[in-house]
Amino acid sequence: MNVLASRLKGKFTLDPLTVKQFKRFRSIKRGFYSAVVLGVMIVMSFGAELLVNSRALVVSYQGELFFPTYGDIIPGRTFGLDYDYETDYRDLDGLLQERGGDDWVLMPVVPYDALENDLQPGVYPPYAPSLASGHYLGTDSTGRDVLARLIYGFRIAFAFSFLLLLCNYLIGIAVGCAMGFWGGLFDLIFQRVIEIWNLVPTLYVIMIVASIVVPTFWTLAAVMVLLGWTAMTWNMRTSTYKEKSREYVLAARALGASNPRMIGSHVIPNTISVIVTFIPFSIAGGITLLTALDYLGFGLPPPTPSWGELLSQGTSHLGSPWIVYSVVIAIGLVLVMVNYIGEAIREAFDPKKFTYYE
Amino acid sequence: MTSYFIRRFLLIIPTFIGVTILVFTLTRLVPGGPIERMLSEAALASAGETSTVSDYDGRGGSMLSDEQLADLEAYYGFDKPVVVGYFEWLGKVLVLDLGRSTRYNDPVWETIRDRLPVSIFYGVCTLIITYGVCIPLGIYKAIRHKSVFDNLTSAVVFAGYAIPNYVVAIFLLTAFAANLEWFPLGGFVSDDFADFTLMEKIADLFNHAALPLIAYVAGSFAFTTMLMKNSLMDNLAAEYVRTAVAKGLDFRRAIFGHAFRNSLIPIATSFGNNISLIITGSFLIEKIFNIDGFGLLGFESLVERDYPVVMGILVISALLFLIGNILSDICVAIVDPRVKFGSGESGQ
Repeated sequence: MNVLASRLKGKFTLDPLTVKQFKRFRSIKRGFYSAVVLGVMIVMSFGAELLVNSRALVVSYQGELFFPTYGDIIPGRTFGLDYDYETDYRDLDGLLQERGGDDWVLMPVVPYDALENDLQPGVYPPYAPSLASGHYLGTDSTGRDVLARLIYGFRIAFAFSFLLLLCNYLIGIAVGCAMGFWGGLFDLIFQRVIEIWNLVPTLYVIMIVASIVVPTFWTLAAVMVLLGWTAMTWNMRTSTYKEKSREYVLAARALGASNPRMIGSHVIPNTISVIVTFIPFSIAGGITLLTALDYLGFGLPPPTPSWGELLSQGTSHLGSPWIVYSVVIAIGLVLVMVNYIGEAIREAFDPKKFTYYE
Repeated sequence: MTSYFIRRFLLIIPTFIGVTILVFTLTRLVPGGPIERMLSEAALASAGETSTVSDYDGRGGSMLSDEQLADLEAYYGFDKPVVVGYFEWLGKVLVLDLGRSTRYNDPVWETIRDRLPVSIFYGVCTLIITYGVCIPLGIYKAIRHKSVFDNLTSAVVFAGYAIPNYVVAIFLLTAFAANLEWFPLGGFVSDDFADFTLMEKIADLFNHAALPLIAYVAGSFAFTTMLMKNSLMDNLAAEYVRTAVAKGLDFRRAIFGHAFRNSLIPIATSFGNNISLIITGSFLIEKIFNIDGFGLLGFESLVERDYPVVMGILVISALLFLIGNILSDICVAIVDPRVKFGSGESGQ
C-alpha cells in the first residue's frame, strides 16, 4: 500500500530535479523575462482579432449592443447605412461622432485588418507611419497596414514553427532512438539516408511542390517536415548512444526489461534535457526558414500576412524604409528573446561552474 | 585510423550517388522544364511580333512540329528513361563533363568557374575576419568573464546570432545603402571598374564588399566566439591548469601554453566545413546584394529550371560538404591526439 501511495504521490508532485531546474531557469533573468514577454505575446496573438481589426469591438446603436469581431458580417443597413455589404466601422465611427447622440463605436487599438487595402485618394501607397491615419507603422505597397500584417504574421509564423517542431521531434525521437539503440546496419543505412537528405536543396523541393500544387499552410509544413526531420534524429541518435552504454540501462537489461521498456522508461526520460534544450532553437529555425521562403516568394500563398513577404516588399520599395525597419525590429526582438530563452534553458539543465584565476 | 578515413572516403560514393539520383529524378518528374520554358518564351516573342495569334493551338503555344519537339527532347536528353539518362549523365561527370547550360548554352563548368572568384573572395574574407576576431575576442571574454565588456559583447554577439543573416543584409541595404547612401546598392564592383587605378579598384571593391561582409560575419561570429570562450573557460577550470598555476607558472603562460591549445579542439571540429562555406556562400545574401556568385547562380538555375547547372552545382556542393566533414575529423585527429576514430562508435 505504501509503495502504491508513494507512487501515486510521485505522479502528482513534481520531480525535485525539475523543480530545481525551473528555479535555476527563473534565476536567469534575461531568459526568464524573455519567456514571460514572449508567452504574453503568443497568448495575445491568439486574440489578435480583438487588437488589430477593421471590425469594431463594440457598437452601441439605438440602445442595442453589437459585437462584430467574431461571427458573420453585419450589413451596413443594420446601422442605418445605405449598403448591404459589411459595415465600414471606421466610417461609422466618424459618422456617429459627427451626429452626436448616444450611439458610439469602440474600435480596436489598430483599426485595420491585415488583408484590407486602405487607399487614400490621389496618393499612391506605401504611406509613411502616421498617428492620424491609425497606420502606426505605415502601410505596404498596396496600402495594407504594416503593424496588422506584422502581428498576424507573427501568429502564423509561430503556429507554423510549433507544428514543424511537433512533427520533426516525433519523427526524430522515434527514428533517432531506434538508430542509437539498435545501431548496426540499421544505423548505418539511416546515417546515409540522413546524409543524402541533408544534401537535397530544400528550396528546390519546395519549388517543385509549388509547381505541382498551390502551396498552402499544410502542404508547406508537410514538405518542411519531410526535409527537416533529420536534425533532431541526429541529436537523438547521439544521446541515445551515450545513454545506452550507461550502467543503469545495463542493469535494466539484466533485470529482464524488454526493449520498449528500456527505451520508453529509461533512455528517453534521460534524454529529455537534450530535447528541451533544442526546442527554442528549433522554433527560431522554423521562423527563419519560413521567413526566407516567403521573402523569395516560395512560401505561403498571398495574401497571407507574413514577415518574409513584407521584407520582399521593403527591398523593392527602398524609398519606404519603414517597412524594412518594422520587420527587422520585429524579427530581431522575437528571435533574440527566443534565443535568450534557449540559452537560459541550456544553462538551467546543464549548469557550468567555472573557476577563475586572477 | 588510416583505414577509418579510407572507409569514410569510400562512404562518400553511396551518398553522392544517392543524392544525385534523387535530384536527377526530381528534375525529370517536374513540369516546366527547359523545353516548356523555351516554348512559352518563343510564344511570347512571336505574340509580340505578329499581332494576330492565329496558330495558337493551346499546346504551350507551340509553333514546332512534333518532330522538332522530339529533336529538342533528344538534344536535352529528355527522350530517354530516367535510369538511362542518369547513367549517361553520371558517365559524363566521371570524365569531368557537366554538360551544357540550357539557359546560356555554355558549358556548365565554365559558367560555374566564372562565378567562383567572387564567392571565394567573400568566403576567404569572412573566414579571416571570423577567426581573426573571434579567437582573440573569445579569449578575452573568457579571462574577463562577467565583466562589463563581456556582458556587452555577449549581448551584441547574441543579437547577431539570433537574427538571420539575410535579415541583417536587408537591414544594412535599406539603411546604409538606400537611405544614408554611404555604400553602393549592390553588385560586386562598379560598372566602370576597368578604368580605375589600382588604389581606386581596391577602394571600390571594399566599398561594395563592406555590407555583405558584415552580413556574412554576423551569423558565424557568435558561434565561434562563444565556442572559444566556453571551451577556454572549461580548460581554465581543469586540473592541469590548476596544477600549472599552483606550481608557480604565471597566468599568461598558463593560458597560452596550456589551456589555449586544448581549447582549440572544439573549433577544429567545424574547421573542415569552411571549404563549403568559402565556395558556396549564401545565396540569400548574394541575391539581396546582387552579387554574381556561386550561390546566386544556384538560385537562378533553380528558378529558371536550368537542370544541367542545377546538377553541376549539386555535384560540387555535395562533394565539398562531404569532404569538408572528413577534413573536420582529420583536423580533430591532428589537434587532439587522444581522439581515436574507428574504434567503438562507427561514423559521426
